[in-house]
Amino acid sequence: MDHLGYLFAANVFVWGGVLFYLFTLRKRSQALEKDLAMLKQILDKGPAK
Amino acid sequence: MRQYLTQVAAIVWKDLATELKTRELFSAMFVFSVLVILIFIFSINLSIVKATEVGPGVLWVAFLFAGTLGLNRSFMLEKENGCLQGLILTPADRTTIYFGKFISNLTFLLIMEAFILPLFMVFFNVDILPHLGPLLVVILLGTVGFCALGTLLSSLASNLKTREVMLPILLYPLMVPVIIGSVRMTGQVLEGVALSSMMNWVGLTLCFDVIFIGVSIMTIDHILEE
Amino acid sequence: MNEETTQEGEGGPVLLWITALALLAAMVAIFIYVPTEKTEGPVQRIMYFHIPSAWVSFLAFFVVFLSSILFLWKKEREWDIYAQASAEVGVLFCTLVLITGPIWARPIWGAWWVWDARLTLTLVLWLIYIAYLMLRAQTDAGSMRARYAAVLGIAGFLDIPLIHFSVLWWRAFHPLPKVITTEGLGKGMDPAMLATLFISLGAFTFLYFLMMGQRVRQEKIRDDIDRLKKDVLDSD
Repeated sequence: MDHLGYLFAANVFVWGGVLFYLFTLRKRSQALEKDLAMLKQILDKGPAK
Repeated sequence: MRQYLTQVAAIVWKDLATELKTRELFSAMFVFSVLVILIFIFSINLSIVKATEVGPGVLWVAFLFAGTLGLNRSFMLEKENGCLQGLILTPADRTTIYFGKFISNLTFLLIMEAFILPLFMVFFNVDILPHLGPLLVVILLGTVGFCALGTLLSSLASNLKTREVMLPILLYPLMVPVIIGSVRMTGQVLEGVALSSMMNWVGLTLCFDVIFIGVSIMTIDHILEE
Repeated sequence: MNEETTQEGEGGPVLLWITALALLAAMVAIFIYVPTEKTEGPVQRIMYFHIPSAWVSFLAFFVVFLSSILFLWKKEREWDIYAQASAEVGVLFCTLVLITGPIWARPIWGAWWVWDARLTLTLVLWLIYIAYLMLRAQTDAGSMRARYAAVLGIAGFLDIPLIHFSVLWWRAFHPLPKVITTEGLGKGMDPAMLATLFISLGAFTFLYFLMMGQRVRQEKIRDDIDRLKKDVLDSD
Protein backbone atom coordinates (compact mmCIF):
# COMPACT_ATOMS: atom_id res chain seq x y z
CA MET A 1 0.00 0.00 0.00
CA ASP A 2 2.93 2.28 -0.65
CA HIS A 3 3.06 5.43 -2.77
CA LEU A 4 -0.69 5.97 -2.41
CA GLY A 5 0.11 9.64 -1.95
CA TYR A 6 1.25 9.76 -5.56
CA LEU A 7 -1.91 8.12 -6.82
CA PHE A 8 -3.96 10.59 -4.83
CA ALA A 9 -1.95 13.53 -6.16
CA ALA A 10 -2.45 12.36 -9.74
CA ASN A 11 -6.19 12.16 -9.21
CA VAL A 12 -6.29 15.61 -7.67
CA PHE A 13 -4.49 17.12 -10.64
CA VAL A 14 -6.55 15.33 -13.27
CA TRP A 15 -9.96 15.98 -11.76
CA GLY A 16 -8.94 19.40 -10.53
CA GLY A 17 -7.76 20.39 -13.97
CA VAL A 18 -10.82 19.05 -15.77
CA LEU A 19 -13.32 20.57 -13.36
CA PHE A 20 -11.46 23.87 -13.27
CA TYR A 21 -11.63 24.17 -17.03
CA LEU A 22 -15.28 23.16 -17.21
CA PHE A 23 -16.28 25.59 -14.46
CA THR A 24 -14.29 28.44 -15.95
CA LEU A 25 -16.03 27.81 -19.25
CA ARG A 26 -19.42 27.77 -17.58
CA LYS A 27 -18.79 31.00 -15.68
CA ARG A 28 -17.58 32.76 -18.78
CA SER A 29 -20.50 31.49 -20.82
CA GLN A 30 -22.98 32.71 -18.22
CA ALA A 31 -21.41 36.18 -18.22
CA LEU A 32 -21.47 36.24 -22.01
CA GLU A 33 -25.10 35.20 -22.16
CA LYS A 34 -25.99 38.04 -19.82
CA ASP A 35 -24.20 40.47 -22.12
CA LEU A 36 -26.02 39.01 -25.09
CA ALA A 37 -29.42 39.39 -23.45
CA MET A 38 -28.59 42.96 -22.49
CA LEU A 39 -27.53 43.84 -26.01
CA LYS A 40 -30.69 42.31 -27.42
CA GLN A 41 -32.75 44.47 -25.08
CA ILE A 42 -30.97 47.59 -26.24
CA LEU A 43 -31.62 46.67 -29.83
CA ASP A 44 -35.30 45.96 -29.22
CA LYS A 45 -35.79 49.34 -27.61
CA GLY A 46 -33.68 50.47 -30.54
CA PRO A 47 -34.27 53.28 -32.98
CA ALA A 48 -37.36 54.47 -31.09
CA LYS A 49 -35.13 56.34 -28.65
CA MET B 1 8.62 30.12 -65.94
CA ARG B 2 11.28 32.52 -67.02
CA GLN B 3 9.33 35.41 -65.54
CA TYR B 4 8.94 33.49 -62.28
CA LEU B 5 12.67 32.97 -61.93
CA THR B 6 13.32 36.60 -62.80
CA GLN B 7 11.02 37.74 -59.99
CA VAL B 8 12.68 35.44 -57.48
CA ALA B 9 16.10 36.57 -58.61
CA ALA B 10 15.07 40.19 -58.28
CA ILE B 11 14.10 39.71 -54.65
CA VAL B 12 17.28 37.81 -53.85
CA TRP B 13 19.38 40.42 -55.59
CA LYS B 14 17.68 43.25 -53.72
CA ASP B 15 18.47 41.61 -50.39
CA LEU B 16 22.04 40.79 -51.31
CA ALA B 17 22.72 44.27 -52.68
CA THR B 18 21.31 45.92 -49.57
CA GLU B 19 23.42 43.72 -47.39
CA LEU B 20 26.58 44.28 -49.41
CA LYS B 21 26.22 47.99 -48.91
CA THR B 22 25.67 48.00 -45.18
CA ARG B 23 26.92 44.60 -44.03
CA GLU B 24 25.13 45.18 -40.74
CA LEU B 25 23.19 41.95 -40.82
CA PHE B 26 26.17 39.78 -41.58
CA SER B 27 28.43 41.28 -38.97
CA ALA B 28 25.69 41.06 -36.35
CA MET B 29 25.09 37.40 -37.09
CA PHE B 30 28.77 36.56 -37.10
CA VAL B 31 29.65 38.35 -33.87
CA PHE B 32 26.59 36.90 -32.18
CA SER B 33 27.60 33.34 -33.13
CA VAL B 34 31.07 33.83 -31.74
CA LEU B 35 29.62 35.17 -28.50
CA VAL B 36 27.23 32.23 -28.20
CA ILE B 37 30.06 29.76 -28.68
CA LEU B 38 32.17 31.60 -26.14
CA ILE B 39 29.45 31.66 -23.51
CA PHE B 40 28.79 27.97 -23.96
CA ILE B 41 32.45 27.14 -23.57
CA PHE B 42 32.53 29.12 -20.34
CA SER B 43 29.41 27.46 -19.02
CA ILE B 44 30.57 23.91 -19.72
CA ASN B 45 32.80 22.22 -17.20
CA LEU B 46 35.60 21.16 -19.51
CA SER B 47 37.23 18.98 -16.89
CA ILE B 48 34.25 16.65 -17.02
CA VAL B 49 33.18 16.85 -20.63
CA LYS B 50 35.36 16.57 -23.68
CA ALA B 51 35.16 19.58 -25.93
CA THR B 52 34.67 17.39 -28.98
CA GLU B 53 31.55 15.84 -27.46
CA VAL B 54 29.73 19.10 -27.01
CA GLY B 55 31.21 20.84 -30.04
CA PRO B 56 28.54 19.88 -32.57
CA GLY B 57 25.77 20.90 -30.17
CA VAL B 58 27.34 24.28 -29.47
CA LEU B 59 27.91 24.83 -33.17
CA TRP B 60 24.29 24.24 -34.07
CA VAL B 61 22.98 26.34 -31.18
CA ALA B 62 25.14 29.18 -32.50
CA PHE B 63 23.76 28.63 -36.02
CA LEU B 64 20.21 28.55 -34.67
CA PHE B 65 20.50 31.76 -32.65
CA ALA B 66 22.34 33.68 -35.35
CA GLY B 67 19.95 32.38 -37.96
CA THR B 68 17.00 33.62 -35.92
CA LEU B 69 18.63 37.03 -35.77
CA GLY B 70 18.95 36.99 -39.53
CA LEU B 71 15.34 35.94 -40.08
CA ASN B 72 14.03 38.63 -37.78
CA ARG B 73 16.01 41.37 -39.43
CA SER B 74 15.20 40.11 -42.88
CA PHE B 75 11.49 40.72 -42.64
CA MET B 76 11.77 43.66 -40.29
CA LEU B 77 13.69 45.63 -42.87
CA GLU B 78 10.91 44.91 -45.34
CA LYS B 79 8.30 46.25 -42.96
CA GLU B 80 10.29 49.37 -42.13
CA ASN B 81 10.71 50.36 -45.73
CA GLY B 82 7.25 49.32 -46.74
CA CYS B 83 8.89 46.94 -49.18
CA LEU B 84 6.62 44.08 -48.26
CA GLN B 85 3.55 46.14 -49.03
CA GLY B 86 5.02 47.01 -52.36
CA LEU B 87 5.84 43.42 -53.15
CA ILE B 88 2.36 42.25 -52.17
CA LEU B 89 0.74 44.83 -54.39
CA THR B 90 2.58 43.52 -57.41
CA PRO B 91 0.75 40.84 -59.39
CA ALA B 92 3.64 38.48 -58.61
CA ASP B 93 2.87 34.97 -57.42
CA ARG B 94 3.29 35.00 -53.65
CA THR B 95 5.62 32.02 -53.79
CA THR B 96 8.18 34.19 -55.58
CA ILE B 97 8.35 36.30 -52.45
CA TYR B 98 8.77 33.17 -50.36
CA PHE B 99 11.51 31.69 -52.53
CA GLY B 100 13.23 35.03 -52.86
CA LYS B 101 13.40 35.51 -49.09
CA PHE B 102 14.21 31.84 -48.58
CA ILE B 103 17.20 31.96 -50.91
CA SER B 104 18.54 35.21 -49.52
CA ASN B 105 18.13 33.98 -45.92
CA LEU B 106 19.85 30.73 -46.90
CA THR B 107 22.69 32.56 -48.59
CA PHE B 108 23.40 34.80 -45.62
CA LEU B 109 23.27 31.95 -43.16
CA LEU B 110 25.48 29.66 -45.26
CA ILE B 111 28.08 32.38 -45.71
CA MET B 112 28.09 33.07 -41.99
CA GLU B 113 28.43 29.35 -41.25
CA ALA B 114 31.39 29.18 -43.61
CA PHE B 115 33.13 31.85 -41.55
CA ILE B 116 32.24 30.13 -38.27
CA LEU B 117 33.62 26.74 -39.26
CA PRO B 118 37.31 27.70 -39.08
CA LEU B 119 36.67 29.23 -35.65
CA PHE B 120 34.98 26.01 -34.62
CA MET B 121 37.99 24.08 -35.81
CA VAL B 122 40.27 26.21 -33.69
CA PHE B 123 38.20 26.48 -30.51
CA PHE B 124 37.25 22.82 -30.34
CA ASN B 125 40.45 21.36 -31.78
CA VAL B 126 38.59 19.46 -34.44
CA ASP B 127 40.12 18.69 -37.77
CA ILE B 128 37.37 19.41 -40.24
CA LEU B 129 39.24 19.02 -43.51
CA PRO B 130 39.26 15.23 -43.87
CA HIS B 131 35.48 15.20 -43.35
CA LEU B 132 34.67 18.38 -45.22
CA GLY B 133 32.41 16.88 -47.88
CA PRO B 134 29.94 15.05 -45.64
CA LEU B 135 30.07 17.91 -43.13
CA LEU B 136 29.01 20.41 -45.75
CA VAL B 137 26.15 18.16 -46.80
CA VAL B 138 24.93 17.89 -43.22
CA ILE B 139 25.18 21.64 -42.67
CA LEU B 140 23.38 22.33 -45.93
CA LEU B 141 20.50 19.98 -45.12
CA GLY B 142 19.99 21.47 -41.68
CA THR B 143 20.29 25.06 -42.81
CA VAL B 144 17.83 24.51 -45.65
CA GLY B 145 15.32 23.12 -43.14
CA PHE B 146 15.83 26.06 -40.84
CA CYS B 147 15.42 28.61 -43.62
CA ALA B 148 12.43 26.84 -45.15
CA LEU B 149 10.39 26.90 -41.96
CA GLY B 150 11.98 30.07 -40.63
CA THR B 151 11.12 32.13 -43.69
CA LEU B 152 7.47 31.04 -43.47
CA LEU B 153 7.19 31.77 -39.76
CA SER B 154 9.07 35.06 -39.87
CA SER B 155 6.76 36.34 -42.59
CA LEU B 156 3.96 35.47 -40.17
CA ALA B 157 5.65 36.84 -37.06
CA SER B 158 6.67 40.11 -38.71
CA ASN B 159 3.04 41.19 -38.52
CA LEU B 160 2.83 40.72 -34.78
CA LYS B 161 3.64 43.35 -32.20
CA THR B 162 5.83 40.89 -30.31
CA ARG B 163 7.57 39.65 -33.43
CA GLU B 164 11.10 39.22 -32.06
CA VAL B 165 9.97 37.15 -29.12
CA MET B 166 7.34 35.13 -30.98
CA LEU B 167 9.60 33.92 -33.76
CA PRO B 168 11.75 31.68 -31.52
CA ILE B 169 8.68 30.54 -29.58
CA LEU B 170 6.99 29.46 -32.78
CA LEU B 171 10.06 28.18 -34.60
CA TYR B 172 12.17 26.29 -32.08
CA PRO B 173 9.75 23.53 -31.05
CA LEU B 174 9.09 22.78 -34.70
CA MET B 175 12.82 22.71 -35.40
CA VAL B 176 13.46 19.87 -32.92
CA PRO B 177 13.90 17.12 -35.57
CA VAL B 178 16.46 19.18 -37.46
CA ILE B 179 18.33 20.20 -34.33
CA ILE B 180 18.57 16.66 -33.00
CA GLY B 181 19.41 15.26 -36.43
CA SER B 182 21.99 17.86 -37.41
CA VAL B 183 23.83 17.66 -34.11
CA ARG B 184 23.82 13.86 -34.23
CA MET B 185 25.02 13.78 -37.85
CA THR B 186 27.70 16.44 -37.30
CA GLY B 187 29.09 14.54 -34.35
CA GLN B 188 29.24 11.29 -36.26
CA VAL B 189 30.66 12.86 -39.41
CA LEU B 190 33.48 14.41 -37.43
CA GLU B 191 34.31 10.98 -36.05
CA GLY B 192 34.69 9.71 -39.56
CA VAL B 193 31.40 7.84 -39.91
CA ALA B 194 30.26 7.73 -43.52
CA LEU B 195 27.01 9.38 -44.52
CA SER B 196 25.73 6.10 -45.84
CA SER B 197 25.55 4.67 -42.31
CA MET B 198 23.34 7.47 -41.04
CA MET B 199 20.85 7.47 -43.85
CA ASN B 200 17.97 7.45 -41.39
CA TRP B 201 18.99 10.89 -40.13
CA VAL B 202 19.75 12.13 -43.64
CA GLY B 203 16.37 10.89 -44.78
CA LEU B 204 14.58 12.47 -41.86
CA THR B 205 16.18 15.88 -42.41
CA LEU B 206 15.54 15.70 -46.13
CA CYS B 207 11.93 14.81 -45.38
CA PHE B 208 11.68 17.82 -43.10
CA ASP B 209 13.10 20.10 -45.79
CA VAL B 210 10.69 18.84 -48.43
CA ILE B 211 7.63 18.88 -46.18
CA PHE B 212 8.14 22.40 -44.97
CA ILE B 213 9.05 23.88 -48.30
CA GLY B 214 5.85 22.26 -49.49
CA VAL B 215 3.78 23.61 -46.60
CA SER B 216 5.26 27.07 -47.19
CA ILE B 217 4.39 27.03 -50.87
CA MET B 218 0.85 26.01 -50.10
CA THR B 219 0.19 28.44 -47.27
CA ILE B 220 2.23 31.54 -48.06
CA ASP B 221 -0.72 33.01 -49.96
CA HIS B 222 -2.77 33.02 -46.80
CA ILE B 223 -0.07 34.84 -44.88
CA LEU B 224 0.81 37.48 -47.42
CA GLU B 225 -2.77 38.46 -48.05
CA GLU B 226 -3.83 42.01 -48.18
CA MET C 1 -33.41 32.09 -31.52
CA ASN C 2 -34.08 31.20 -27.91
CA GLU C 3 -30.84 29.89 -26.45
CA GLU C 4 -30.41 26.68 -24.53
CA THR C 5 -29.46 26.92 -20.88
CA THR C 6 -25.85 27.41 -19.94
CA GLN C 7 -25.28 23.84 -18.91
CA GLU C 8 -25.81 22.53 -22.36
CA GLY C 9 -23.17 22.79 -24.99
CA GLU C 10 -23.35 21.75 -28.54
CA GLY C 11 -24.38 18.26 -27.55
CA GLY C 12 -27.23 19.18 -25.27
CA PRO C 13 -27.74 17.68 -21.83
CA VAL C 14 -27.38 14.16 -23.24
CA LEU C 15 -23.65 14.54 -23.73
CA LEU C 16 -23.21 15.79 -20.19
CA TRP C 17 -24.95 12.76 -18.72
CA ILE C 18 -23.23 10.24 -20.98
CA THR C 19 -19.87 11.75 -20.07
CA ALA C 20 -20.64 11.70 -16.37
CA LEU C 21 -21.69 8.06 -16.61
CA ALA C 22 -18.65 7.11 -18.63
CA LEU C 23 -16.36 8.81 -16.13
CA LEU C 24 -18.10 7.01 -13.30
CA ALA C 25 -17.64 3.69 -15.10
CA ALA C 26 -14.00 4.51 -15.66
CA MET C 27 -13.43 5.32 -12.00
CA VAL C 28 -15.05 2.05 -10.98
CA ALA C 29 -12.89 0.17 -13.45
CA ILE C 30 -9.71 1.95 -12.43
CA PHE C 31 -10.09 1.72 -8.68
CA ILE C 32 -12.28 -1.32 -8.04
CA TYR C 33 -12.35 -3.65 -11.02
CA VAL C 34 -8.80 -3.82 -12.26
CA PRO C 35 -6.37 -5.89 -10.17
CA THR C 36 -3.30 -4.27 -8.69
CA GLU C 37 -0.19 -4.62 -10.78
CA LYS C 38 2.46 -6.89 -9.31
CA THR C 39 5.69 -4.98 -9.62
CA GLU C 40 4.51 -1.39 -9.38
CA GLY C 41 1.64 -1.57 -6.94
CA PRO C 42 -1.37 0.73 -6.76
CA VAL C 43 0.56 3.70 -8.21
CA GLN C 44 0.43 1.95 -11.54
CA ARG C 45 -3.23 2.95 -11.79
CA ILE C 46 -2.05 6.39 -12.80
CA MET C 47 -1.48 4.80 -16.19
CA TYR C 48 -5.23 4.77 -16.76
CA PHE C 49 -5.21 8.56 -16.59
CA HIS C 50 -1.86 9.11 -18.24
CA ILE C 51 -2.21 7.10 -21.45
CA PRO C 52 -5.80 8.08 -22.36
CA SER C 53 -4.90 11.75 -21.79
CA ALA C 54 -2.09 11.35 -24.30
CA TRP C 55 -4.36 9.74 -26.88
CA VAL C 56 -7.04 12.41 -26.43
CA SER C 57 -4.56 15.25 -26.76
CA PHE C 58 -3.33 13.65 -29.97
CA LEU C 59 -6.92 13.43 -31.20
CA ALA C 60 -7.39 17.10 -30.28
CA PHE C 61 -4.34 18.19 -32.25
CA PHE C 62 -5.48 16.15 -35.21
CA VAL C 63 -8.79 18.01 -35.09
CA VAL C 64 -6.84 21.29 -35.02
CA PHE C 65 -5.00 20.09 -38.13
CA LEU C 66 -8.17 19.17 -40.01
CA SER C 67 -10.00 22.33 -38.95
CA SER C 68 -7.05 24.47 -39.99
CA ILE C 69 -7.00 22.93 -43.45
CA LEU C 70 -10.75 23.27 -43.78
CA PHE C 71 -10.60 26.88 -42.68
CA LEU C 72 -7.95 27.81 -45.23
CA TRP C 73 -9.96 26.00 -47.88
CA LYS C 74 -13.48 27.20 -47.09
CA LYS C 75 -12.73 30.40 -45.15
CA GLU C 76 -15.64 29.73 -42.82
CA ARG C 77 -15.38 31.01 -39.23
CA GLU C 78 -16.88 27.72 -37.97
CA TRP C 79 -13.64 25.85 -38.68
CA ASP C 80 -11.56 28.51 -36.99
CA ILE C 81 -13.67 28.11 -33.86
CA TYR C 82 -13.15 24.34 -33.88
CA ALA C 83 -9.40 24.79 -34.26
CA GLN C 84 -9.21 27.21 -31.36
CA ALA C 85 -11.37 25.08 -29.05
CA SER C 86 -9.60 21.85 -29.90
CA ALA C 87 -6.19 23.42 -29.35
CA GLU C 88 -7.22 24.62 -25.89
CA VAL C 89 -8.64 21.27 -24.85
CA GLY C 90 -5.64 19.53 -26.40
CA VAL C 91 -3.23 21.63 -24.38
CA LEU C 92 -5.23 20.84 -21.25
CA PHE C 93 -4.93 17.09 -21.79
CA CYS C 94 -1.31 17.45 -22.84
CA THR C 95 -0.63 19.25 -19.56
CA LEU C 96 -2.27 16.37 -17.71
CA VAL C 97 0.06 13.92 -19.46
CA LEU C 98 3.04 16.02 -18.40
CA ILE C 99 1.80 16.17 -14.81
CA THR C 100 0.77 12.54 -14.37
CA GLY C 101 3.98 11.39 -16.06
CA PRO C 102 6.39 12.63 -13.40
CA ILE C 103 3.95 11.71 -10.60
CA TRP C 104 3.99 8.15 -11.93
CA ALA C 105 7.70 8.12 -12.70
CA ARG C 106 8.93 9.32 -9.35
CA PRO C 107 7.91 6.34 -7.20
CA ILE C 108 8.58 3.81 -9.96
CA TRP C 109 11.81 5.01 -11.52
CA GLY C 110 13.08 7.24 -8.70
CA ALA C 111 13.33 10.22 -10.99
CA TRP C 112 10.81 12.96 -11.68
CA TRP C 113 11.66 13.18 -15.33
CA VAL C 114 13.21 10.78 -17.81
CA TRP C 115 13.94 11.75 -21.37
CA ASP C 116 12.08 8.84 -22.85
CA ALA C 117 10.73 9.17 -26.36
CA ARG C 118 7.04 9.52 -25.53
CA LEU C 119 7.39 12.02 -22.71
CA THR C 120 9.82 14.15 -24.67
CA LEU C 121 7.52 14.15 -27.69
CA THR C 122 4.66 15.24 -25.42
CA LEU C 123 6.76 18.08 -24.06
CA VAL C 124 7.62 19.34 -27.53
CA LEU C 125 3.97 19.05 -28.57
CA TRP C 126 2.94 21.04 -25.54
CA LEU C 127 5.37 23.78 -26.53
CA ILE C 128 4.11 23.83 -30.10
CA TYR C 129 0.47 24.23 -29.15
CA ILE C 130 1.16 26.66 -26.34
CA ALA C 131 2.87 28.76 -29.00
CA TYR C 132 -0.28 28.32 -31.11
CA LEU C 133 -2.43 29.65 -28.27
CA MET C 134 -0.01 32.49 -27.63
CA LEU C 135 -0.19 33.45 -31.28
CA ARG C 136 -3.99 33.56 -31.10
CA ALA C 137 -3.92 35.55 -27.87
CA GLN C 138 -1.61 38.17 -29.31
CA THR C 139 -3.53 38.91 -32.47
CA ASP C 140 -6.87 40.66 -32.66
CA ALA C 141 -9.87 38.66 -33.75
CA GLY C 142 -10.28 38.61 -37.45
CA SER C 143 -9.10 37.08 -40.65
CA MET C 144 -5.39 37.50 -39.88
CA ARG C 145 -5.55 35.65 -36.59
CA ALA C 146 -7.49 32.80 -38.13
CA ARG C 147 -5.21 32.45 -41.14
CA TYR C 148 -1.98 32.60 -39.15
CA ALA C 149 -3.24 30.14 -36.57
CA ALA C 150 -4.34 27.78 -39.33
CA VAL C 151 -0.88 27.78 -40.91
CA LEU C 152 0.66 27.00 -37.55
CA GLY C 153 -1.94 24.31 -36.86
CA ILE C 154 -1.01 22.58 -40.10
CA ALA C 155 2.75 22.93 -39.69
CA GLY C 156 2.66 21.73 -36.11
CA PHE C 157 0.81 18.54 -36.83
CA LEU C 158 2.88 17.61 -39.86
CA ASP C 159 5.98 17.92 -37.71
CA ILE C 160 4.78 15.29 -35.24
CA PRO C 161 6.05 12.15 -37.03
CA LEU C 162 9.39 13.87 -37.63
CA ILE C 163 9.71 14.82 -33.96
CA HIS C 164 8.70 11.31 -32.95
CA PHE C 165 11.42 9.64 -34.97
CA SER C 166 14.12 12.15 -34.16
CA VAL C 167 13.46 11.82 -30.42
CA LEU C 168 13.22 8.04 -30.66
CA TRP C 169 16.58 7.69 -32.41
CA TRP C 170 18.09 10.30 -30.11
CA ARG C 171 17.09 8.15 -27.19
CA ALA C 172 19.25 5.34 -28.48
CA PHE C 173 22.18 7.21 -26.99
CA HIS C 174 20.61 7.71 -23.56
CA PRO C 175 19.27 4.39 -22.31
CA LEU C 176 16.50 4.45 -19.76
CA PRO C 177 17.25 3.69 -16.13
CA LYS C 178 14.92 0.71 -16.08
CA VAL C 179 13.59 -1.75 -18.61
CA ILE C 180 9.94 -1.04 -17.91
CA THR C 181 8.64 1.69 -20.16
CA THR C 182 5.17 2.80 -21.09
CA GLU C 183 5.76 1.18 -24.46
CA GLY C 184 6.51 -2.20 -22.93
CA LEU C 185 3.18 -2.25 -21.15
CA GLY C 186 1.20 -2.87 -24.29
CA LYS C 187 2.58 -6.32 -24.79
CA GLY C 188 1.03 -9.14 -22.87
CA MET C 189 -1.14 -6.85 -20.79
CA ASP C 190 -3.70 -8.51 -18.64
CA PRO C 191 -7.09 -8.35 -20.44
CA ALA C 192 -8.68 -6.62 -17.45
CA MET C 193 -6.04 -3.92 -17.68
CA LEU C 194 -6.59 -3.54 -21.38
CA ALA C 195 -10.34 -3.28 -20.86
CA THR C 196 -9.91 -0.65 -18.15
CA LEU C 197 -7.60 1.28 -20.40
CA PHE C 198 -10.24 1.36 -23.12
CA ILE C 199 -13.03 2.29 -20.73
CA SER C 200 -10.93 5.16 -19.47
CA LEU C 201 -10.11 6.15 -23.04
CA GLY C 202 -13.80 6.20 -23.90
CA ALA C 203 -14.62 8.33 -20.89
CA PHE C 204 -11.86 10.80 -21.67
CA THR C 205 -12.97 11.01 -25.28
CA PHE C 206 -16.50 11.89 -24.18
CA LEU C 207 -14.93 14.48 -21.90
CA TYR C 208 -13.12 15.90 -24.91
CA PHE C 209 -16.36 16.26 -26.86
CA LEU C 210 -18.11 17.77 -23.85
CA MET C 211 -15.38 20.38 -23.42
CA MET C 212 -15.30 21.06 -27.13
CA GLY C 213 -19.03 21.59 -27.16
CA GLN C 214 -18.87 24.06 -24.28
CA ARG C 215 -15.94 25.96 -25.70
CA VAL C 216 -17.33 26.15 -29.22
CA ARG C 217 -20.63 27.40 -27.87
CA GLN C 218 -18.92 30.05 -25.82
CA GLU C 219 -17.06 31.29 -28.88
CA LYS C 220 -20.24 31.41 -30.92
CA ILE C 221 -21.93 33.51 -28.23
CA ARG C 222 -18.95 35.82 -28.35
CA ASP C 223 -19.36 36.13 -32.09
CA ASP C 224 -23.07 36.92 -31.64
CA ILE C 225 -22.21 39.62 -29.13
CA ASP C 226 -19.68 41.19 -31.47
CA ARG C 227 -22.19 41.16 -34.27
CA LEU C 228 -24.88 42.72 -32.09
CA LYS C 229 -22.45 45.34 -30.82
CA LYS C 230 -21.89 46.38 -34.39
CA ASP C 231 -25.64 46.51 -34.97
CA VAL C 232 -26.09 48.73 -31.92
CA LEU C 233 -23.41 51.08 -33.17
CA ASP C 234 -24.92 51.13 -36.63
CA SER C 235 -28.43 51.85 -35.43
CA ASP C 236 -27.34 55.02 -33.65
